[in-house]
Amino acid sequence: MARVLEAENLVKSFGGLRAMNDVSMHADLGESVGIIGPNGAGKTTLLNLLTREIVPDTGSVFLDGECIDTQAPYRRVQSGLVRTYQVPRPFSDLAIKENIRVGMMPDLISDMLMKGPDEDAEREIAHSIGIVDEQMALYPYELPMGDLRRLELARALATDPKVLLLDEVFAGLTYSEINQISELLMERKKTHQTTYVIVSHDLKALEPLVDRVIVIHFGEVLTAGTFREVVHNQDVQVAYLGTSWESA
Amino acid sequence: MFSEGTAKGLAGWAIFGVLMLIFPLVASTGMVRIFVFANFLAIFAISWDVLSGKTGYISFGHPFLIGVGGYTTALLTYHLQLPLYVTIPIAVVVTMVAGTLFFLPALRIRGTYFALVTLAFMELMYGLVQVIAPTITGGTRGLSGLPTLVTGAIPNYYLSFGVMFVLGVSAWLLIRTRLGTALSAIGMDEEAVGASGLNTTKLKLFAFMVSAMIAGLGGALYIHYLGSIAPRGLFDVSFLFTILVACLLGGAGTITGPIIGAFFLTLLLEWLRPFIPGQERYLIYGVATLILYMAQPKGVYHIFRVGINRTVGLMQGVQRGAST
Repeated sequence: MARVLEAENLVKSFGGLRAMNDVSMHADLGESVGIIGPNGAGKTTLLNLLTREIVPDTGSVFLDGECIDTQAPYRRVQSGLVRTYQVPRPFSDLAIKENIRVGMMPDLISDMLMKGPDEDAEREIAHSIGIVDEQMALYPYELPMGDLRRLELARALATDPKVLLLDEVFAGLTYSEINQISELLMERKKTHQTTYVIVSHDLKALEPLVDRVIVIHFGEVLTAGTFREVVHNQDVQVAYLGTSWESA
Repeated sequence: MFSEGTAKGLAGWAIFGVLMLIFPLVASTGMVRIFVFANFLAIFAISWDVLSGKTGYISFGHPFLIGVGGYTTALLTYHLQLPLYVTIPIAVVVTMVAGTLFFLPALRIRGTYFALVTLAFMELMYGLVQVIAPTITGGTRGLSGLPTLVTGAIPNYYLSFGVMFVLGVSAWLLIRTRLGTALSAIGMDEEAVGASGLNTTKLKLFAFMVSAMIAGLGGALYIHYLGSIAPRGLFDVSFLFTILVACLLGGAGTITGPIIGAFFLTLLLEWLRPFIPGQERYLIYGVATLILYMAQPKGVYHIFRVGINRTVGLMQGVQRGAST
């Protein structure tokens, strides 16, 4: 399978704290990789390093086999490496449809000036993620958490991502909302061969989604494997619970 | 071609334009002169709003831009006797270039620091004009006896209004494009705009160039209206705050708001003049501004809008009531 995303030996220190210590990971075309680990393990930092919102001290990131170390975050998005934020960050004074519009815009001043928005395409993205027409003219503060997460996803999908980095997409959602979003993601995986890197605390929600899981602990890769393998791994249980429950 | 909202807005602009065209026919010469100042303040406010009102990069350096435009054309006409139709376009280009050179590093700084750095440009310019080659720039006294484009209150009124109107409508249409949406998004969460795949530096630079172009043109026309230029009047904190207050009071980021604010401020100051002739009236306007801003931070524009919506709603309600 084609290797779409690859990170090699990422290192990042904040002062004396080594937040990311020599982490390598990869994701293949159409593969879903889960990133789990206890609080403060460095999961979000890893995503930030992949998008270059935080610049790594050393290490490289490859997209489609091409080194993208010098590309600014917006260039990486244009190349297809897109993320969502743990805390949804909608544009607060723009309507839902305008939020999606920003994601769909080409990075060309002339186009932005001369061509109007493609409202049909905006609606299509919104529908695909379960946002209904009546919500399009609303503002983010009028939406409940579940819909804000949807909007966050819609904004990311509007950029037509190849690799989607999802940071805690399920946090604060009900089971039915989690199921809906999971189905959407799986559907898109089939139709678009989208590659996912999913950071989540919610192991139960993660289980049906991911092909492979990487466990991060204290800024290092603790272990990797299928979901079943890692949750039964003793080291992982110790990392999460302090001690394995079998020995307790 | 235009959406319904845009068409309605353009109708509003047309009504405003007609009223302003009729105005000198019914008003006194003194009032017309006051309106000339209001027009210029409105041009400066539009310039500020395109950059700061939209992107949230609050510029304290607009007098710097206006001054660059003003001094460029002043020096060229005073020393080289070049005609105005040559010097004014040069002034606009110089403002855009000089402004970009100075502000480009500043655009990498966010928040309060951007405001402070731009404020420093204004102070720097104030110092430089007086110190460097005072024989050329006229030093502290500035230059006077500069040529004017037209003479008399009414021609100047139509000139300043025409320029303000064209710039106002263009800027208003500009912020209604997708580019305008992207610029406001920068003001809300710049990192998230980058995460949507847009080069925010390019967008900010574009907004800045448009802003500098308007400031340069406004500055050049302004000094040829006054017929003189002096550093104290231009690179002055109270001049800066008049622009800022006009925008904030009117409603930043809306273009129409800052124009309303510019007229409101100019008229307020004039209305206060008979009661408080001295500088103290700035205190009154400060207090009035503060109260209005506390009551409605989105500005007069927003108050108007809510008022119109309510009136329309009420009328529709009355009609419905009558028909049943």
